[in-house]
Amino acid sequence: MKLNELNIGESGIIKKIYAKEPLKSKLLSMGFARGEKIKVLKHTLAKNTFDIDINGVNVALREEEAKEIEVEKI
Amino acid sequence: MIEIKVALVGQPNVGKSYLINSISGATLHVGNFSGVTVEKKEVEFQRNDYKLKFIDLPGTYSLHPYTPEEKVTKDFLLNEDYDLILNVVDSNQLQKNLVFSFQIADLNKPMVIAFNMYDEFSRNGGEIDTDKFYKLTNILAQNVSAKEKFGLEELFKKVIQTYEEKNTPRIYYSETVEEEITNVKRKIKKCKFDKRFVAIRLLEDDEDIYKLIHKKPWYIDLISQLRASKERIKIEFDEEDIKEIFFEERLALSKGIISQIAKRARKEKLSEKIDKILIHPILGLPIFLFVMWILFQSTFSLGAIPMDYISSVFNSFGDLIGKIFPNGIVKDSIVNGIIPAVGAVVMFLPNILILYLGINLMEQTGYMARAAYVMDGILKRFGLQGRAFIPLVSGFGCSVPAYMAARTLKNPKDRLITMLVIGFMSCGARLPIYVLLVSAFFPKHIQGNVMFAIYIGGALIGLIVAKILREVLFKGEPEPFVMELPKYRFPKLKAILFDLWIKTKMYLKKAGTFIAFASLAVWFLSSFPRAGIIKEYSLKIENAKGIEKIKLEKRIKKEILENSYLAKIGKLIEPITKPLDLGWREDVSLLAGLAAKETVVSTMAVLYGEGGKHTSKNLIEKIRKNMLFTTAVAMIIIVMFYSPCVAAMSTFYAEVPQWKWRLFYTIYPNVFAYIAAFLGVSLIKFFQ
Repeated sequence: MKLNELNIGESGIIKKIYAKEPLKSKLLSMGFARGEKIKVLKHTLAKNTFDIDINGVNVALREEEAKEIEVEKI
Repeated sequence: MIEIKVALVGQPNVGKSYLINSISGATLHVGNFSGVTVEKKEVEFQRNDYKLKFIDLPGTYSLHPYTPEEKVTKDFLLNEDYDLILNVVDSNQLQKNLVFSFQIADLNKPMVIAFNMYDEFSRNGGEIDTDKFYKLTNILAQNVSAKEKFGLEELFKKVIQTYEEKNTPRIYYSETVEEEITNVKRKIKKCKFDKRFVAIRLLEDDEDIYKLIHKKPWYIDLISQLRASKERIKIEFDEEDIKEIFFEERLALSKGIISQIAKRARKEKLSEKIDKILIHPILGLPIFLFVMWILFQSTFSLGAIPMDYISSVFNSFGDLIGKIFPNGIVKDSIVNGIIPAVGAVVMFLPNILILYLGINLMEQTGYMARAAYVMDGILKRFGLQGRAFIPLVSGFGCSVPAYMAARTLKNPKDRLITMLVIGFMSCGARLPIYVLLVSAFFPKHIQGNVMFAIYIGGALIGLIVAKILREVLFKGEPEPFVMELPKYRFPKLKAILFDLWIKTKMYLKKAGTFIAFASLAVWFLSSFPRAGIIKEYSLKIENAKGIEKIKLEKRIKKEILENSYLAKIGKLIEPITKPLDLGWREDVSLLAGLAAKETVVSTMAVLYGEGGKHTSKNLIEKIRKNMLFTTAVAMIIIVMFYSPCVAAMSTFYAEVPQWKWRLFYTIYPNVFAYIAAFLGVSLIKFFQ
């Protein structure tokens, strides 16, 4: 499943990042890498924007970017 | 004395500016990195017979730059001359930070690491063993807290020691990668960079490095080796993207080293708790709007108080000069030209300072990122980013601080689009024009609604134009939005004051000179030529008494304006504005509005022969008699959209260095205003 399909409070392990450059490098530098654990802390009412915890770092991203990240729900 | 030039590098929000502000006995210089509007801070201080010079580079997440600021950092690290890298790391986010540290360690320059915010980290039970870190990486490191000022002197000692010993990092990747780095390295001949660094960057597809070496004679030889090496790494790791492989290598290194040197801290829950309220799915928006309301109230209501003082000081100064100097052109140019021009520059300072103070507080506490998060969903629909909200709403107060506030947008396209539509948010100075025209031409009971429609309509059209600009000018992929939400922190007063001081200096120096010259030019155009008129009147005025004298003085003013260069331009463009039902008087008023929007009303007052109070009943009556309804509507529409005042335009020029965009910005609002006014007038005529 994709990251944007997770609900508030749910966690997952990153399986693959589909994003192209330069977004991919940006995501990597924020810590989004295969095998890392992420948790959805919050999203806006319309699920436009997500607040993700990755290794203690809070990152905000849009639905469009979240779609580029394949996760496995845990 | 020997100077050690130190490049200060780190990810955003690691407290680099804190660190710079905490060095005792240091002198600070602020400038710009050449060619870009990115601040460059330099600190100089002495320790043990050495002069240390720190250059604070913009915070960056990686050496694959994303924003122009990140590019500045990379360019500096690659091309400038420096002795040592001081990498500042947030102890609370070791893993993410060290991945970047290992990237810059590849440069093979002498390097020192500062584990900053160690106070916070150790309070939560964390520990870092810097001796062990040195053994593992050959990088001297020091635990510091810039906030509580500990570890700083030890850090400087380690900087000096690293410099004296020319101590460079030793960090190795996994076996296969190292083998291929060596294979590629062998093909690199003479080059100004470290060969290992070039090899790594080439394997990672760094285009900047490609550009630097593709003309070298050994390039062809190298390329075939590079292809083979990449192929082998791809197969070995079963992954197509070598950038990702290198990132994962560094991540693994980072994790391995952290497990050996650090004791983990308990997770801090405070930020998460605050976020539960501040970016609550439902409460987040009203809270943000309330914060904005406070910010703008204080900027424009509180800011109006010192503005009044400033203007009265400049006025009385003008009067004083007026009494000292004899009548004539010198006096007139000082009293009516130079002093108001300088006054116009200083006038905006209170607004700018208060708005910046607010923005700074939001940035430093970490709320700004949350505001962007809350607003992004709405602004995204118009091709804008969450952070664009602040400059846009500031535009309702005054475009000058609004253009400067657009600096919070890191992406240049987002910033440009935002700046191009700020003018559509009707600023405070346009209010008297609307009041005059609306009260003269609309029935009382709908005046409020008309005013509301003017403001909201302008804003909505601005957003739609933003969307169009994004689609037409920046076609293709939308800008991605990935942003760290930093921890909430208490702001540091010294850092904020210092930043305000820098902003003031930059504004006075860059926009200030523009504004002063432009205001002078408009004054000149509206008061010359006049030799004949003054000659004719001066005798009459001398002989006149009491009310007669005041009347004559008003007449001379009117006559000068009617014969000025500005009026000539107005008459020249009259045929162009004819379809909008605008006459030369309206044209001249609108042109004078380029000096400052307030002057539209005062110019109309002079031209329609009504001195005294601008918004007085008399003027409204006069205008109602002499102007068509369609003329008033056309004027309102033009004021909504045409070029802002020269102060605002100057600020835009100061902020945007590209002539292409300056030109576009100067032309398109006027074309847009013309078309909009034409449509408005035609619609009214159609229904009449």
